[in-house]
Amino acid sequence: MRSVSKTFGTLDALAPIDLQVDEGETVTLLGPSGCGKTTLLRLIAGLEAATTGEILVNGMTAEQARRRKQIGFVPQSPALLPWRTVEANARLLLDVNRGASPTTLTASVDDLLHEVGLGEFRDAYPHELSGGMQQRVGLVRAFAIDAPILLMDEPFAALDEMTRTDMRHLLGRLREPMNTTVVFVTHSIAEAAFLSDRVAVMSPRPGRVTEDIGIELPHPRLPELEDTDGFFHITTRLRAALSEGMDR
Amino acid sequence: MTPARRRVVAPLVGIVAFCLAWEGFVRLFDVRRFVLLPPSAIVAELADAPDFYWSNAMVTARHMAIGLSISLLVSIAVGAVMASSRFIEEATQPVLILILVTPWVAYITSVVLWLGRGEPSILFMVAFTTFPVLTFGVVGGMKSADPSARELFASVDARPWEVFWRLRLPAALPSIFTTLRLALGLGLAAAYFSEGSALTTDGLGAIGRRAAASNLAETLWATIASAALLGIAGLAILSALERSLLRWHVSQRA
Repeated sequence: MRSVSKTFGTLDALAPIDLQVDEGETVTLLGPSGCGKTTLLRLIAGLEAATTGEILVNGMTAEQARRRKQIGFVPQSPALLPWRTVEANARLLLDVNRGASPTTLTASVDDLLHEVGLGEFRDAYPHELSGGMQQRVGLVRAFAIDAPILLMDEPFAALDEMTRTDMRHLLGRLREPMNTTVVFVTHSIAEAAFLSDRVAVMSPRPGRVTEDIGIELPHPRLPELEDTDGFFHITTRLRAALSEGMDR
Repeated sequence: MTPARRRVVAPLVGIVAFCLAWEGFVRLFDVRRFVLLPPSAIVAELADAPDFYWSNAMVTARHMAIGLSISLLVSIAVGAVMASSRFIEEATQPVLILILVTPWVAYITSVVLWLGRGEPSILFMVAFTTFPVLTFGVVGGMKSADPSARELFASVDARPWEVFWRLRLPAALPSIFTTLRLALGLGLAAAYFSEGSALTTDGLGAIGRRAAASNLAETLWATIASAALLGIAGLAILSALERSLLRWHVSQRA
């Protein structure tokens, strides 16, 4: 994206931002609340139009990418439909706008549900699941459409710390074999360090990217990684970048 | 007493106690027949001509069912449009309120003059008196659809009808059922009164109004009781439908 900015009325939500995300790369937008990271994600998703600048998603405009179902979106709340079973919820994005769904899938909804440990809960309703399980359905729903790009808006923010840790390990495992490009929004330093190839550190008023930090940690990312010195260094580095951004 | 048994016994005790008090009151104070008949006399009248009351109750039930169905379809169509545009919603609201607060008994004569005697006027009245409430229920329910889910639909460019059919309509069902209960009472009153005003020969309202004019207290009160039973049957049907359609909703869980 080139010089992308967003104004709401007189409020400058985002100062002009340049950001490049390569194919297969996971880039995290890390920043405090109100720094515009969710707005930036919504611009990429084509859910909102940029005030200035240009966003290209695989060579298409964000709007075209949305039309062609190039984007798997994971909102902050799981947003499961209470009248659909787990399986039907996981299929939702395939069922909607069916014409734009891919004809062959790398992984079936069933496989994905098994992969995240929900194989036995296919016929359960959302209210019968825990918060972590609900968000796992949300992940499957986004992965199911085989979109080349996944956009995740603080998907684990509402979960308790233990579940949250499990979920980032699960997401790391799910993502690894696919060549999906991921833009992940979070204010958790551990999530940013564990999942990303690159972290764009943001600061508020107006929202801007203050630093672009490469995460040189080995793949595949396994839970043990979080106990290594390398991981510790990265998180320290990210924390420093965050507070520098705030002081600027 | 087990909860299951209590749910059957308690309402019965309430109704029997009410009828006994009613019967005692009428006998004790010697209330005039036309003002209030004792339940025993109403039951005797119903038992005397069960086919007559049954067939007329079925006519009223048909008016209710058709009128409410038309009203529901119109309210879902109007409500869906209102829920999709703030401007249309704000433009339509005052009109609905106007229809809601205007006493329909006042203009029913004009409706009969316009649509003629009989069924068309009755169905119009049932539908017209109930559709504002139902529309408010539909709009409120549709707007309560999870905003995150709406974004999710937008993220894959869902068509408007898909948003309606897969998201907004199911989300509106709980509030549609709640307002249907209200509409049932309104619609029953409209059906009864319109049958009496539309110069038809069939329906509880038609025979009730004729009985009132001819001082036939037994017949009048038997139609009143039949109409009340019809309302209870309608509510029971709604509850059964609700239980089967809304199993996922918090209101239907134990």
